[in-house]
Parts: sequence; C-alpha cells; structure tokens
Amino acid sequence: MNHSHQDPAVSRRNFFELTFGWCAAAFAVSATAAGALRFLVPNVLFEPSQQFKAGKPDDYLDGSVTFIEDQRVFIVRKGNTYRCISAVCTHLGCTVNRTEQGYHCPCHGSVFNNEGTRTAGPAPKALSWFLVSLSKDNRLVVDKNQRVTEEKYLVV
Amino acid sequence: MNHFLPKKILKWAMQTRIGRSIFRVGLPESNLERSQAMVSSFLLHVQPAKVNRHSLKASYTLGLGLISLYLLLILVGTGTLLMFYYVPSTDRAYNVMKDLQFVISAGLVLRNMHRWAAHLMVLFVMLHMCRVFYTGAYKSPREFNWVIGVMLFLVTLGLSFTGYLLPWDQLAFWAITVGANIAAYAPIIGPKLQFLLLGGHTVGQEALTRFYALHVIVLPAVAFLGVSIHLFRVRKDGGLSRPEEVRSSVDRIALNELPTNKSYGLMELARGTTPQVGKNPDDEVFSWPHLIFREIILFLLVAVVLLFLSIFWNAPLEEFANAIHPPNPAKAPWYFLGLQELVSYSAFWGGVVVPGLLVGLLMLLPYIDRNRHGIGRWFARERIVANTLFTFCLIVAIVLTIIGSLFRGPNWSWQNPWKQQAVQTESH
Amino acid sequence: MHKDLTRKFYGWFTFLGLLVGTLIVLGYCKDEYREWKDYQHKYIQEEIKRAATPELKAVAERIPVEIRQIILPDLNRVDRCTSCHLAVEDPSYGGYPQPLAYHPHHAQHPFERFGCTVCHRGQGRATTQADAHGHVEHWDEPMLPLKYIQASCGKCHDNENNPGAPDLARGQQVFETAGCRGCHKLSGIGGVVGPELDKVGARRSPEWLKKHFLSPASVSPGSGMPPQKFGEQDLDAIILFMLSQTGETAPGYYASMKVIPSASLGKGLFQQKGCIGCHSVGGKGGVVGPALDDVGLRRTPEWIIKHFRDPQSVTPGSVMPRFGFSESEARALTEFLLHLREQKVELILPTLMSPIERGHEVFRKYGCAGCHGQDAKGGVPNPNAKTAQLVPDLIHVADGYTKAELKSRIQKGQREINSLDPKLPAPPLYMPAWGGTISDAEIDSLVEYLFSLKPKGEDVGF
Repeated sequence: MNHSHQDPAVSRRNFFELTFGWCAAAFAVSATAAGALRFLVPNVLFEPSQQFKAGKPDDYLDGSVTFIEDQRVFIVRKGNTYRCISAVCTHLGCTVNRTEQGYHCPCHGSVFNNEGTRTAGPAPKALSWFLVSLSKDNRLVVDKNQRVTEEKYLVV
Repeated sequence: MNHFLPKKILKWAMQTRIGRSIFRVGLPESNLERSQAMVSSFLLHVQPAKVNRHSLKASYTLGLGLISLYLLLILVGTGTLLMFYYVPSTDRAYNVMKDLQFVISAGLVLRNMHRWAAHLMVLFVMLHMCRVFYTGAYKSPREFNWVIGVMLFLVTLGLSFTGYLLPWDQLAFWAITVGANIAAYAPIIGPKLQFLLLGGHTVGQEALTRFYALHVIVLPAVAFLGVSIHLFRVRKDGGLSRPEEVRSSVDRIALNELPTNKSYGLMELARGTTPQVGKNPDDEVFSWPHLIFREIILFLLVAVVLLFLSIFWNAPLEEFANAIHPPNPAKAPWYFLGLQELVSYSAFWGGVVVPGLLVGLLMLLPYIDRNRHGIGRWFARERIVANTLFTFCLIVAIVLTIIGSLFRGPNWSWQNPWKQQAVQTESH
Repeated sequence: MHKDLTRKFYGWFTFLGLLVGTLIVLGYCKDEYREWKDYQHKYIQEEIKRAATPELKAVAERIPVEIRQIILPDLNRVDRCTSCHLAVEDPSYGGYPQPLAYHPHHAQHPFERFGCTVCHRGQGRATTQADAHGHVEHWDEPMLPLKYIQASCGKCHDNENNPGAPDLARGQQVFETAGCRGCHKLSGIGGVVGPELDKVGARRSPEWLKKHFLSPASVSPGSGMPPQKFGEQDLDAIILFMLSQTGETAPGYYASMKVIPSASLGKGLFQQKGCIGCHSVGGKGGVVGPALDDVGLRRTPEWIIKHFRDPQSVTPGSVMPRFGFSESEARALTEFLLHLREQKVELILPTLMSPIERGHEVFRKYGCAGCHGQDAKGGVPNPNAKTAQLVPDLIHVADGYTKAELKSRIQKGQREINSLDPKLPAPPLYMPAWGGTISDAEIDSLVEYLFSLKPKGEDVGF
C-alpha cells in the first residue's frame, strides 16, 4: 500500500481539535445510546405487585392455612403469629396443594412438610417463606421480594 | 507520523486481523484509499467516489434532500423505540401516550422528537420538491427520478397520516375521520377505498390496526425501497444536476502524473460508451472527505434543531377519542388543510378532481416540459413560464392552507383569527 | 487543501457534537427531575425523624423513591396519586399538610381495590399535581370539590338508602320535588323541553351547574328554564345529584350486589313481585303469609336469606313458591325487610292507593311541578306567554275540561304556546306530548288527581 505523504505531523493545535472533536462525537453517541437504553427500562410495572396486602389479621382463623390465588402464597396463622409461604413448587413452578402433612405438588409429585422442607419428589429446594409485616392501617403486608427463614413470623 | 494518540489506536485496531476483516480500507490517507473507502463500504457505496464540486454547494441544494433523509432516519429510530411501549388498541393507545409523558423516562422527549420530525419531514420533502423544480433538475435525463420523488412524497404523506391516528385522541380521531371522508369522494371507488382503508365504515379498532401496520412496516418498507432507488438513480443519471458551464470539458492532465504501473481497482462509469479513466475534470473532488464531512455536519445540525424543539415544545395530546363529540370544526392535519378548504367548496371538484389533476400533472411534469434549458440554476430565465406557473400553484396551495388553519372556525365558517381569543367552552 | 477542510470540519464537528451531547444531557436532566420525587424525599425524611428504634430507622431509610400506582383493571384505571399522597393509610399523619395527609373513612373502600379517582375524579395516570388534579386543558374530569364528593357514590350505590351519602339522597329528593323531570329526561323518563340529564355530571362543572340553577339564561343563552330558588343546602344537594349523573356504569366486581346490598333494590323487587298479595305491611296486604313488619326482629338475616332461596327448607309446609331469586336479589330483599323494622316505609303500592293518591304519585313522578308549580299551584314564569306570562296552574282544570279532554290534552301536549306579543320571541316552555311516556292507567289516575284539586265549595263552571 502506498501511503502518500500528504499529511504532515499533526500540530499541537490540531491535536487538541481532533481530540476534542472525537470526544464530542463519542459523547454525543454515548449520550444517545444511554438515553435510548434508559427509555427502555420500565419505571412502572403492570403486573400484580410483589408486595401486597393480605387482609386483616382477624380474617384468618387460628390454625388456618389460607391460599391466596392470584399471588400464589399461603397465609399460615398459629395463635397470634402469622407467616407466609410460597405456593410455587421449586421444581418447575407449578402451584402446590395443601395437605394435612404439608404441601403436595400435583405436577411431578414433590412433597413438602409444614415447614416447607422438601421430603419427596424432584424439587431441589424448600418452599420459600416471605416477609410478613403489619401496615399502618392494620393489614397484613406480604413482600415476596424478601425471603425469610422459616422461624421468622409476625406477631400481632 | 501521527502524534494523535486516539487516531493511532484506531489505526492499530483497524490493522489487526479482526480489524482488517471488518474495515477493508481503514481511515483513508491517499486518494486511492479515499476512493476505496467509498466503494467498498456497504453504507457509503451508493454515493460515488468523486462528486462534482458544484453539487456540494449548500446554496444550490440547500441540503433539503439530505435533511429529508435524516428526518426519516430519526423517525425510524425514535419510532422503533416508541414501539416498545405503544399498543395499537383503542383501549390502551391513549393510556400509553399518557404514560410516555408521566412515567416513562425520556418518553415525552422521544415522542416530541417523533412528532416534530414527522411534521418537518413533510415540510422538507415539499421544499425539496420545490428546489428540484426551480433548478430544473427533473429534466432529462432525470425524469424518472422525479416521478419516484413524487411517489416518495405521497408515501411521506401516507406515513404522516397513518401515524396521526395512533395516539387515539380527539385530534387524531377526527383528523382521520375527515381525511377518510375526503377519500370517499373519489368517484366509483371512493367508498370502497374508504372501507378498505378503515377496515369498516367508521374509524375504530380495525382502522387503528390497519393504520399501525401501514405506519410501522408497509410504508417504511416502501419508503426505504423508494429512497434507495432514488439515490441510486442520482448516481446513474450522472449525479446531481448542474448548469452547463460546470459540465466541464475534459482538462488536459499532464500524462506524467498518471501512475502507469497501477491499475485502479475502481472504474467510474458515467454516461457514454467508454470508461473515462484518467480524464478527471478539475471540478470533481473526492467524496471522502468533502461530501462525507458535509453530510455529517448537516446531520448534527438537524439533530441539534430537533433536540432543541423536542425538549422545549410538547406535541399535542387532547382528550380521549370520542365519536360522539366532534370538535367544531374538525380539522385535518395541516398538510391536508388546503385540501379540506377545497373540499368545503365542492366535494367532487375540490376533493377529487383538483388534487387528482395536481398529482397527475406533477408526475407527468418532466414529460410535459419540453424545454431543455435552464437545468442546474435557480430561477433560470429560460424557464420563466414554468417557474411562474409553479409558483402560482404553490402560492394558491399555501393560501388555501393558511385559510384552512387560521380563518376557519366552527362549522367551517369564516373567522377572524385576531379577534378569536381562545374560547373556553365547558362542554365538548 | 485537505488539511484546511479537515480543520474546518473538525471545528464544526466538535461544536455540534458537544451541542448534541449537551442537549441530550439537558433533556435527560429535565426528564429526571420530577415533582413527586420531592414529596417522596420529604416523606422519607419525616419517617426517619419519627423512627423510634434503629431498626425502624433502617426500614425508613430503605424506602425506595419510585412511582407508586394502583392498578384497577376492572375499572380500566391506573391511579398514581399515592406517588405523592404517600401517607393516606397512616393515621399518624392525620391533619398533616397535603400531600402527606392521612385519608380518613377508607375502611369500606380499601385503596388497593378502589383507587382514588373513582371517587375523587381527576387524572389518575398523571404524576404532577396540576395534571393529576385535572384542572387542565384536554382533561374532562377534574377533581370534585370535597363538598360534592358524594356524587361519586351514585356510580355503584343507590341514591337513596345509603347511610354514607345523605347529601346524594337529599339531592335526589330535591330533584323529585322540584319537578325537574317535567322538562328534563332522566333515565329515560321525563319531558323534552330541556336536554336529557343522563350524562350532565360528566359534561358540566360544579361552577357551571350552580350558575345554571341560579340564572339559567346566563350560561345557556336562550334557555327558557326559570331561575330556581333553592336554599343553600338544597342547591348544593341538587348540584351534587347532577354531578352524580355521569352515565358511567360500574363494572363487574363493583356492581356486584354482594358488595352493596341495597334496601331500595329490595323495595323495588318487593313491589314488583307482588309480595303484598300474601303478606301484609302496615296493616295492608294479604293474609296467606305472616305480616312482615317485625320480621327483622323475629328472624336472623341468615334465616331470611335462606327463606328466599328455598322457603320449604326453613319453613316446612310453606306454600310460598320458590321465586328463583339470584343471590344479590335475595340479599337485597333481606336488606329491605331488615330495614322495615327501623322505620315505617311508605310503600308505593298501586293496588293499595286510591286513584287520587295514585294520580298524585304520577304528578310527582313525571315532574309536573317543574312547570305547573308545587301542588300544581302555578307561579312558574314563561316569558311572553299569553297566560299572564306564567305557566298556568291546574287548580281549576276540572272547570275547563272533561276528563276525556284532559286525558287527550296530556297525551297530545301543546307545542305552540300563544304569545302575548308576536314581535317578541315565542314562550320557551311548552307542554310535551306525554302519550308515549305516561301509561294509560297512569294518565287516568292523573286526571282524577287534577280534578280533585278544585277547592271544595266552589261552584262548577265559570
């Protein structure tokens, strides 16, 4: 390749101009890309919220395990303690059923005990427990974003 | 030796094995490389390796065609981003528009950009058409390119019209209702045309779905095809039009300048029967950098203006579309207002005959105009008749549009725009 | 040559590139600054200040700054009010300056089920105060002034018998007694002199409505509606009632009578199904079944509902048929019977009333008083009418008409009213043709009533 010698050494002034120029260009391009990307990240979701209200504590009878369908959890009450366990089987995501001894998944036969620990079947992990708190207007609030250990419960 | 570090890094990168497989030429530093950069690049090769100096004059073309193209590209970019949120459903479209304003980051700016670019594109396509007319650039051998241009103009109007409906607010709904009703006035095929366009008898969900399909895929595809052919034809017709003086005769070039041991990998074919190697008119310059640099600057300019408009002026959004409550008066988009004014005089003559004739005349213009003089100059004396006629039609169109937009009030009655303060009516 | 061009190019390139970048950053910053973020920061600071323990403080510090919304798919709404009104559920913020104040009275209508705009109106999807409160161009439903809030109750609840909305019931009462129906149709019944009122609450603002009642011609040029003389409370009540007429129907869950058992629906069913044929109320009615006046004291609500579902199951040997009531109908009837014990309910039972009483009911039902005055005594202005510029009273109608003539007159109406001065505009109020609207039997009773209006002791004829 025949490199012509039409471009002599770049002067210091040219150097700044060139640097500035390309930096400005890079700045403009990256600002555009960043803006487009930020645009695509949603700020609000239209799905059922991960954090939801589950009614008043008194809505649940002592010793009950109540299934909440659209959130796929069970609310467990014993005395004045409240807990919330996920109803989503850890195998492939089917909804488990409540049994006398705990929970049973109809899809592939996974069995969990009352503490959520897997006792039989292909599920790899125990069922998750979620954080239960009390809202300012005296309602149970479940936060599915916060997993807790089985021992943690809300005392009302 | 270049002391410029980023450039050194870039050059190094382009010379690695991977770099060379992507960038076959790299940053050009010789005339050969400049030519090769244009020819071997996918994006750039629609443009020639060398262009006539006259074509680069901003005072000649005003860059109008390029600006129209840039606006189209910006519209495609912003439009694609907007597609990630928009739903063409009568229940949800309007809510998406509200969400763009209130909860989506940069939603308002992007929507504004899309809207202003759309309006500007219609305007600049019209200006480009005027420029081509006034410089006689549609004359032989460029007749067919003009026809393609007219078709692109119609596609642009179609894109703008189909997009206008998508927000599904009162402005959108009624503008399209008016526009579709004008279409129905065409004899024999009119009502069927309207039925096909709307997917029904009224503007509803079917119309929205069809308009969306037209707006995001059909018309853009047609536009891109048309633009590609349009640009290609510029090449094939010998570049942009130029005055006769500039079609320079071949200069004598000292033969010892021609490297004899090289065969140029590039052959430029212009009209004629033999390749014109070595007969470089002095008026030609390398596209890289002369054309490319100007194009980049122009793009940045368009981006600056558009960003400025989009940040400080919001696109309109009226109430949710309500078929029971037409605004009085219901107005078509601005580029159809002249048409709506004509229609108010006579539906058939004003809505079908006159526009039909105009479009037909426009398309046939290069074949009707037999005058071979006046190409490549603004307002050439030899073309005084044509220029006057065109200017007259242009002025009439502008006046009709102004009347339609400012001087027509409720029931399309005459109103004085200066006396008309914004009347706060309670009900709609 | 190239060097020159390159330098010039780089000059412009740099400048414009920086300009583009700056504008993008400017646009982004403008976009990122949002009103609600200020309020959320204030709330978080407040929560941190109030935190009693370090754990609570940590919880407060972790409160995210984000848009909060209530999605109500059945109502096709999304309410983002709680992005600024963050403490609506927290009683400890009672009396706090807005937007962080507590919202009382929400136990019956939890926010996650009802949102905000279904009662307060406004633009739920907006996230700025001005846009959300809705007093902006191109938004038809601005927030209701708080004193008219009960207008929204009418969307799901009955207007009457709603203990939570006494103003709404009052408004309906004012509407009925003032005789508005004589000129305006509501729910398909009424006169045609003025426009239908079914969606007036969606189209008109409270200010416009107030002006309209006090001086109709000032906001509706050419209107023949006479200015209304309401007291302050009645005026607010009737404005509220008008605001409740939005034509909006509550969908699905919200219209379900399981949520809103209505005693007045029960009353309507009671009258419609003819229960009075076998049971008596207030001494009037059939004797096949027991009197129902104190059934609410003798039986539990559960028993009454079961009885409606299947009488034989709770009263073996009962001859009461199974009417096949839906669950909500059964609940409504139960509610009505329980309601009976609380007060003596005036049952509008056509079979029990005398023709004159029935006629009086028809007079009230179709708003004749709106033009012919309270108790048909006249006094309603009709500018330029030959009849002393008033709509005539009906006290002596027995003197001028036979019953057949009067019936025909009511059925046919009188479109053209004789003018006092032919040069002035025609009188605006006229008599509509009631033939298709008021049933034959009703007109007969109405005629009886009107004939009875003549004061006793006057001579017949004029």
